[in-house]
Amino acid sequence: MKPALYAGLLLGLVPVQAALLQHIEFVGIRPDLCLVAACLAGFLAGELEGLLIGLALGLVQGLFSAGDLWLNVITKGGAGLLAGLAGRHVTNPTTVSMLAVLAGLSVLSGIIVLVAIRSGAGLVAFLAAVRSVLVPEVVLNAAVGTGLYWLIARRVRRQEAIPRGPAGLIG
Amino acid sequence: MFRTTSGTRRAALFLFVLLLSVVFLLPQQSRGLLQNIGQPIAQLASFPLEAFSALDHSLRDFWDGYVALHREAEENRRLRREVQQLRGQNVELQEMVAASQRLAGLLELKKKFAPRTVAAQVVGRDATNWYRSVVLDKGERDGIRVEMGVMTPDGVVGRVVNTTPFSSVVLLIIDPNNAVTGLIQRTREEGIVEGTAQGRARLKYIPLLSTVRIGDVVVTSGLTGGFPRGLAVGTITRIDKAEGDLFQSAEIAPEVDFLKYEEVLVITDPRPSGESHEEPALPTDFSKGPKP
Repeated sequence: MKPALYAGLLLGLVPVQAALLQHIEFVGIRPDLCLVAACLAGFLAGELEGLLIGLALGLVQGLFSAGDLWLNVITKGGAGLLAGLAGRHVTNPTTVSMLAVLAGLSVLSGIIVLVAIRSGAGLVAFLAAVRSVLVPEVVLNAAVGTGLYWLIARRVRRQEAIPRGPAGLIG
Repeated sequence: MFRTTSGTRRAALFLFVLLLSVVFLLPQQSRGLLQNIGQPIAQLASFPLEAFSALDHSLRDFWDGYVALHREAEENRRLRREVQQLRGQNVELQEMVAASQRLAGLLELKKKFAPRTVAAQVVGRDATNWYRSVVLDKGERDGIRVEMGVMTPDGVVGRVVNTTPFSSVVLLIIDPNNAVTGLIQRTREEGIVEGTAQGRARLKYIPLLSTVRIGDVVVTSGLTGGFPRGLAVGTITRIDKAEGDLFQSAEIAPEVDFLKYEEVLVITDPRPSGESHEEPALPTDFSKGPKP
């Protein structure tokens, strides 16, 4: 089940992001579904799975983006890894903790990208990119990711079969 | 899938640190390696991408065609296409007039506006929010390579920055990371066209003594690879001349509506069609005799 889910994410998530998400963009910005998926995988299933899913999604995303390939691979892989480490240290995972993890990792990932691509453009351009891209993206990532986490957690609780994982949901 | 023990944590951290080291120590090699690993996955992912894009187009067509008054939409689309073609022709004609004034009698300059192209469809936008780029449904298998120029009948769209066998990514001219050499059509002065954070373009390095004015048309200069001379880039809407600066700059409203186009032409050979693959004629003496 899980390998099929991951294969589906790997082949379907970037096409959805590139072809369909433009219709639900907010101030011209779409949620970064690859970052959200990497964070959820890390938070729910552990740091190694988060890292591997993040690296794979970052690779595919990089191939359909104008940016440097390694930048997407590193940021998504790192986000999955850090989400896994965060999930391990959260004793009672809630939607609020997921919101905080997603927002924090989106900010971190966005700042790394901005430093890599806009560091030579000056402080004004940097701050403009923070305001126009980073902040809306963080809000969208946090909202979408938390919503998905809430749905997954509710489904798991309803089934009353909660294997113990790093964040207490999926083993 | 994996047991979450301190062992897997160490393994994950080790793997990540190893990857970081490889990326920073061997940037070129790691990029090539990542590209090779990703190519098969990208090939597989390009099929759902095209499927989603087709679904998106058909839903949009359905909405435009049937729900939002079928006939009016059809007529509107036809007229819009015609206006686009006429605009492109108008800029082309203006450029031809300017050229013929300078080079009277050389009517064959018309051929300069017939570069070799490959038609492609836009199937998606950039997979991240950090770049203004589009994904095309044609790639290396169709002869598309990195650095090739992309245009519509309206004018310049951007240049190819990334390719896979079945798709390619085009960085738009309104992206701050893009730069194309431009020419003010009326004054024949050159500059660099760069994208701005606001989604427009800017012509930089215009000489201080230039007589550039609002409304002037900017075209490609043909000096950098990818574009022939004379393709419309946009119209100047504002001129900035700061005290103490060595150059002035101008804001350009691009000719292409970057939200609406669906088909583009990738310029595979920007040279005029008459010049493209002609072998230079050998001098009579050398062509007749044996090779030295």
